[in-house]
Amino acid sequence: MVQWNMRQVMYEAQRALASPVRNPRMATVIGRLLGLAFVLCFGTGLYSHFLQEPLPGMHFATRPELLYQFTQGTHIIAGIACFPLLLAKLFIVFPDLFQQPPVKSFLNFLERASIALFVGASLVQITIGLLNTYQWYPWPFPFRETHFALGWVLIGSLALHIGIKLPIIARVWRKEADDGSGDDDHLTDAVARDRTATPEAVRLFGSSRPTGVTGRLLAWIDATPDLRADATAERAPSGLDTGSASASRDDTADAEDAARTAHTRLSRRGFLTTVGVSVGTVVVLTTGQTVAPLDAVNAFAPRKKGVGQQGVPVNRTSKQADVAADALAAGWVLTVAHAGVERSFSRSELLAMPQTEVDLPIACVEGWSQLARWRGVRLSDLADLVSADAAASFRLTSLEKKGAYRQTTMGSEYVRDQLTLVALELNGETLDLEHGYPARMIAPGRPGVLQTKWLSRIEAMDV
Amino acid sequence: MSTARTAGNRSVEASGSGELGPALRVTRIVLITLGLAGLAWGAYVLFDSVKPARIPGIALWMGAAIVLHDGVISPLVFFCGILLRRAGHRISGTVILVVQGAIVVGSVMSLIVVPLLIAQSRGTGNPTVLPLDYGVNFAVFWAAVAVVTAAVSFGLYARGRRRLR
Ligand code: HEM
Repeated sequence: MVQWNMRQVMYEAQRALASPVRNPRMATVIGRLLGLAFVLCFGTGLYSHFLQEPLPGMHFATRPELLYQFTQGTHIIAGIACFPLLLAKLFIVFPDLFQQPPVKSFLNFLERASIALFVGASLVQITIGLLNTYQWYPWPFPFRETHFALGWVLIGSLALHIGIKLPIIARVWRKEADDGSGDDDHLTDAVARDRTATPEAVRLFGSSRPTGVTGRLLAWIDATPDLRADATAERAPSGLDTGSASASRDDTADAEDAARTAHTRLSRRGFLTTVGVSVGTVVVLTTGQTVAPLDAVNAFAPRKKGVGQQGVPVNRTSKQADVAADALAAGWVLTVAHAGVERSFSRSELLAMPQTEVDLPIACVEGWSQLARWRGVRLSDLADLVSADAAASFRLTSLEKKGAYRQTTMGSEYVRDQLTLVALELNGETLDLEHGYPARMIAPGRPGVLQTKWLSRIEAMDV
Repeated sequence: MSTARTAGNRSVEASGSGELGPALRVTRIVLITLGLAGLAWGAYVLFDSVKPARIPGIALWMGAAIVLHDGVISPLVFFCGILLRRAGHRISGTVILVVQGAIVVGSVMSLIVVPLLIAQSRGTGNPTVLPLDYGVNFAVFWAAVAVVTAAVSFGLYARGRRRLR
């Protein structure tokens, strides 16, 4: 008896949640977009990861100069788009939560467990990603390591999920290819099912209409005949309705059918439009922090182009890095080292060397970017002064006392690039303390965290 | 499998690979294998790079995210939908859809902006992070949503009236 009640509750939940947009085709359509966004995030995320932690022998492209700005900008744009897409996807499949019986077989159990993991990991991934760009870290675990591991979990779950659902996806696609419409009335569908009693419903209720709370609730909701009638009135004249089912027929059953079809199509179109507008809105209002033409409508991005010392935003302040005293000390020198040879340069000595001017963006892991004009000494010139090997990577050390990026490695492709500078000036002025005074790195196509500020030592590593 | 099935509610056996051609069957096996490999690698990376004491926190967040979605957001959406449909006695179906859509668009944007406002009120110690008047922008945003929705609804309403005549 208890079990029967449970079945009834689950059935009623599913029935109450039935909606024309909750069907396999919609799940496939939105799933496709969400899958694309996940793959974009994962690909660009991996690229960002390996830039920071290259595997042995890895080399990277230094052109176009905007490469990292583009990939990480894409990461955050696709990531933001995941919010409406993921919510839409979860909305479509929500009735599955009330599957009855809750577990049908061991395989089914594994499938449901993998989906729970997929959903939980997705929600956490996009949430911590977003909050990270606000520099707010309210979680009890490390961001980067967790975000990286969850990236693999998600991409694995995605492949697994597509594999499991492939028969349904293939059926939707085959149907789309067959008649071009992608109309799926023959697929299980809330509205279509409404008309014919499922055996289960008949067994449980003796009819296709659910009884009890759900039945009464639905009757109450459905007491809005105008909704359907008007939907037909709106749709029929536009010619998008099925030609045969025009409102002129007297046959009430047919009219009801036509109204249902019209309502169904209208709901689906409305749903897709809503998802599309949501994606457009969240992307357009937050992307001005990296895409210049959208700067004018930058309402909700965590950064604003041009806002910061010398017109450039700052990721880590001198206070956070606790470097002010050392950076402003009169005795500061930059040490360049190779195989026991060490040479030190004061700021005026660096300024006395040949200066190069380059236009390069600072492109942050957090997705913002800012083009700026830098002036300083070519790193390759300094490398030559200590006779470093052309294939040598360099270790860069900052005045920062601690922090994951106090000491980083720069591959030879960047060291030898003619655009890579030890920068001394920014946008025509002496480099601001917040931007790394007395001297900082600037190289094409690298994440901002690797554009070491407050340089103290650069050292060629053994080849 | 004769239960009341809704969207994509077909389990592994219900959608068994019997109806798939050989190419799709191979694709399916490859996807499932790669997927399991990705999951295993992710788990390895997680345990390799995150201190064991931190892992329960991640599990907790994932569980809380599911509960928050399934237990709070979804029912909220459901009841808002009911109220709208119910309130829409004398309103055309299209107008209901437009209003519903506008509420969804505004809510999704709010999901992204409300944490932003909280983060800003906590302060970041860096004046170049969160530098805008997000509260003002947020008010303008909702006002714009309301205006656009009203305009579109009125347009649809007027069109409907003309047609009925
Ligand atoms: C499901 C979608 C996502 C996947 C698969 C994904 C994956 C990744 C991966 C693999 C990395 C590299 C981590 C590392 O350097 O070790 C990364 C970095 C990052 N992601 Fe995501 N991500 C997703 C969504 C998001 C979202 C929605 C946001 C924010 C709106 C975001 C923000 C970031 C940030 C700020 C970083 C840089 C971390 C750093 O290097 O400090 N991600 N992501």
